[in-house]
Amino acid sequence: MSLHIAFDGIVKEFGAVRVLHGVGFDLHPGRVYGLLGENGAGKSTLMKILAGYHAPTAGTLLIDGQPARFRNSRDAETRGIVLIHQELNLADDLTVTQNMFLGHELRRGWLLDERRMRERAAEALRQVGFEGDPDTKVRDLIVAEKQLVEIAKAQLRNARLLIMDEPTASLTPSECERLFGLIGRLRRDGVTIVYISHKLDEVERITDEVIVMRDGRFITRAPTAGTPRARMATLMVGRDLTDMFPEKRDPPPAGRPLLAVRGVTVPGWAEDVGFDLRPGEILGFAGLVGAGRTELFEGILGLRPRSAGTIEIDGRPVRLRSPREAMRNGLTYLSEDRKGKGLHVRMGLRDNLTLMTLRHHAQPLLSPASEEKALEHAVAAFGIRGDPRGVAASLSGGNQQKLAIAKFLEPDPRVFVLDEPTRGVDVGAKRDIYFLIARLAAEGRGVVVISSELIELIGLCHRVIVMRGRRVTATVPAERLSEEELIAHAIGTHTRP
Amino acid sequence: MPSAPTPVPDAPVPEARNGGAAPAKGAGRSAAGRFDPHRFGPVIGLILLLVVGTALNPDFATWDNLMNVLTRTAFIGIISIGMCFVIISGGIDLSVGSMAALIAGAMILAMNALQPLLASPVAVVGLGMLFALLLGGGFGLAHGLLITRGRIEPFIVTLGTLGIFRAVLTWLADGGAITLDGDLSDAYGPVYYGSLLGVPVPVWIFLLVALAGALLLNRTAFGRYVQAIGSNEQVARFAAVEVDRVKVLTYGLLGVCVGIATLLYVPRLGSASPTTGILWELEAIAAVIVGGTSFKGGEGRVAGTVVGAVLLSVISNILNLTSIISVYLNAAVQGCVIIAVAFLQRRRP
Amino acid sequence: MSEVARFSRRVLLGTGLAVAMAAGFGGAVLAADPVKLGVSIPAATHGFTGGIVWWANEAKKELEKAHPNLKITVKTASNAPEQANQLQDLVTVTKIDSLVIFPFESAALTQPVVQAKKKNVYVTVVDRGLTDPNAQDAYIAGDNTAFGRIPAEYIAKKYNGKANVVALRGIPTTLDNERWDAFTAVMSKHPDIKILDAKYANWNRDDAFKVTQDFLTRFKDIDVIWAADDDMAIGVLKAIDQAKRTDVKEVFGGAGSKVMVKTILDGSNPLIQADVSYSPKFIYDAIKLTAEARLKGEKLPATHIIPSSLITKENAKEFYFPDSPY
Repeated sequence: MSLHIAFDGIVKEFGAVRVLHGVGFDLHPGRVYGLLGENGAGKSTLMKILAGYHAPTAGTLLIDGQPARFRNSRDAETRGIVLIHQELNLADDLTVTQNMFLGHELRRGWLLDERRMRERAAEALRQVGFEGDPDTKVRDLIVAEKQLVEIAKAQLRNARLLIMDEPTASLTPSECERLFGLIGRLRRDGVTIVYISHKLDEVERITDEVIVMRDGRFITRAPTAGTPRARMATLMVGRDLTDMFPEKRDPPPAGRPLLAVRGVTVPGWAEDVGFDLRPGEILGFAGLVGAGRTELFEGILGLRPRSAGTIEIDGRPVRLRSPREAMRNGLTYLSEDRKGKGLHVRMGLRDNLTLMTLRHHAQPLLSPASEEKALEHAVAAFGIRGDPRGVAASLSGGNQQKLAIAKFLEPDPRVFVLDEPTRGVDVGAKRDIYFLIARLAAEGRGVVVISSELIELIGLCHRVIVMRGRRVTATVPAERLSEEELIAHAIGTHTRP
Repeated sequence: MPSAPTPVPDAPVPEARNGGAAPAKGAGRSAAGRFDPHRFGPVIGLILLLVVGTALNPDFATWDNLMNVLTRTAFIGIISIGMCFVIISGGIDLSVGSMAALIAGAMILAMNALQPLLASPVAVVGLGMLFALLLGGGFGLAHGLLITRGRIEPFIVTLGTLGIFRAVLTWLADGGAITLDGDLSDAYGPVYYGSLLGVPVPVWIFLLVALAGALLLNRTAFGRYVQAIGSNEQVARFAAVEVDRVKVLTYGLLGVCVGIATLLYVPRLGSASPTTGILWELEAIAAVIVGGTSFKGGEGRVAGTVVGAVLLSVISNILNLTSIISVYLNAAVQGCVIIAVAFLQRRRP
Repeated sequence: MSEVARFSRRVLLGTGLAVAMAAGFGGAVLAADPVKLGVSIPAATHGFTGGIVWWANEAKKELEKAHPNLKITVKTASNAPEQANQLQDLVTVTKIDSLVIFPFESAALTQPVVQAKKKNVYVTVVDRGLTDPNAQDAYIAGDNTAFGRIPAEYIAKKYNGKANVVALRGIPTTLDNERWDAFTAVMSKHPDIKILDAKYANWNRDDAFKVTQDFLTRFKDIDVIWAADDDMAIGVLKAIDQAKRTDVKEVFGGAGSKVMVKTILDGSNPLIQADVSYSPKFIYDAIKLTAEARLKGEKLPATHIIPSSLITKENAKEFYFPDSPY
């Protein structure tokens, strides 16, 4: 049952571009490895080779000492190697059971053996702690449940090596806890786990050993116990990263708020929410997934119906019924769902950047030169690295996010709302984004940061509003910000008045 | 057995980083943005057809024949340009053929009714043409409102009106034909049969509509919004694009295009009957898709649409000019050519 | 010759009716019993079918007025499956006892008609015969052979057996094939008449325009165009006009539409000299014959062909119905 993996001089080229430059290391059974590296370091490509999605251009993959060549991911699965994608790979319209047996359906003669599939699925789901009904459609599950389904599915296939790519990106703290517990159990059963994450605190907590890659090369490996987070980050980036966050400027003096929200109710999502945002302030929003933070702001933007409440910008009451009206009143919102709501990934960088401000480039026909200039400016100002002629999808996650931020800043908003601004972004780009947010505040804008990364809220914000079950439960000032405090408010165990 | 760490330079290497991120998902596409031989699939197909046509019958390459083909393409071509916008925005309109028939019928009835009231037949024809444009625009806006405000799938809305328009025309015509009065027919004739610098009027108008369409799609905010909505409606909505308004306008624009096509069509036969415009919707959609526009929306080209429309009529023209293939197989030849051209301009996965 | 044929057929029909009457087939329906007659016809998508619908409603109006105990239900369908469904509804919901049907397709509608007949419905089939003749009580049709033969004979005679002819065809169907075969059969006896080519134009004016344009590009010397349908002839005429061609001496349509008959009557277009009758009025005749026979409790003769005749300036008046849409 053991599964010993060795990479030997793995090279991968896409066309003329070499992505992996002869990577070699090995993985022992029953251990949890943290695979570290910035976006573009080659981690995902290497793991896709291991899971049979790509074939190496040169080099050998050895399994228990024997060279292995997978033609596809099914080949890898039969050897017990399963990759759980960052964007989960489930068919939304099928039920949990149907997904788990997709491509491996059990049959009785010509017919599907529904009963046996449901039983086996239910058993596997119970093992991973999934409490729902195996006949639910995947569409109706929350992300954390989908994750459990993926793991249960891997278990059904007798996975001996699980690769998890950013598994906690959309999970709440308690859901993360459950996942970590599960990882511990799998490890005790002798399953090898390769854990890819940008969240170094998690890596520190659950892995036995970290392996660092950079620029398509293996850099080093070390037991997690002797490697502090700061060291991990330095190894990944290749330079010192002592200061992730800019120095906090003094909170702005109380004065006329830039944005005043009073008694806003978004039916089903937020009830009677009120807050102020002052010029130059960075205001955080913490809470579990489903607490209603994103939906509150979609309501403020006019994308969801509001049943009550008033909104004032700069002391003036405003009626916001669409993102366009919000933009005209100086408020823009960058969604947490970058590919679904933030950027047109199939369109070019320029078209993405200027979409909100086409009027500025029309005289009345659009002037490509003027748009080009805007792009050049944004590339320089936001440090967007990538082919400016390519489509947005060709950029790495961090650069896509910088482009998205540039896009929503093009209309020059006075109030800028960022929802999960560093999701799926590597350490270097994260730091860039934090400094950018501080700069926007220093320019006198009001910035709202909605985030599930508490470190981020603590490091950046002047005040943090915590939501739980559709309501604001606390407003925590800078000096009292701590992970314990925020979690306590978010899950409702806070006892202090 | 950890292997020895490879020494690496301290500074990150930008090329390698970008290179590392890009190829996994988007290198092929970013290259496609620069030069894509598949873009020219429809043009290559058209050139091949022209060569084949000339080889089979020397009369094919005559000016008169080419003008005949372009003139008869004008109706479908103009509708296709409007259709191109609708399809790029992620919509569809199945009703254009029926809409053209109803506009033609209503327009003829209106002109016949106006004739005794106005002295000048030219004025009557002018009013009739204006009526056609307004009617087309009105039908299109109605589609747009039903689709956006009514939240009904465009396929269903326009499938419904496909039946409604044709039924109303058939009712107006009592199942027969609606025919334009003689005097008006003479005054109106030049709009189809006349020419300017040796090029028939409908071809000029086709050209103008195509140029205006290309400009609108590529060089105006409206055109960019249409592409953005088709590419991803949610993203466009979050980026402060007034999605509903833009969608309504695309259907309105298509309606106006149908109006233009109809006002060119009516003087040809001077009549409208229940067979007018039959299957035009499929021809227009085929021209758009053969021309390289994605059926899923987001991406499309006006020039390609024009080439696609011309290509479709050239096929039937060549078949009419030769008898090497059994007439029973005409539709099969058209089908093969359409699939072959689609193959030439297919997208990479 | 054709006059004689027509006459003899009339006599035959008359005798048939008389015999039927004399024999007194009163068993099924008593004279005083009300008759529920269903009429199932194609929807108006073409000038000719438009005429069918108009004449059917005309028959309903007149006959219901004349016979208070007659109820006629007219249903139009736009394809064969729809027609089959309507047939079912007529039998089970409307509870008709007699049916006049103009089938879309012979084969597809034979079984549905058999089912209706099993429920004791008296069936008159119009225009297209069913594949199983036992399914019908009576068959009334226009003469498709004559529709192709008459123009061929006319052209051969008028041009002394020497002419260049191009032809349009309708939609590939048995109906179209019958006409085309009859046309070519005559022409094959005249070696100097050349049929340059024939293409489908779908009984559609626009398609006829395009096909004719291309014929004119391809052939420099054409004497006669057999448009094979009056609707298509309109497209043909426009294309000749546009090309300003003078070699074409005559265009021969078909079916005797109002517009064409009027043109012949007035002599307003030198290209239109003659036509062949194939009037949608036969649906009127069929309904009338069926209804009156059923009211009296009689039967119709098994087959009744409504002859097609040549329409020229001399007899055009007989074929001109200004109120009909066709």
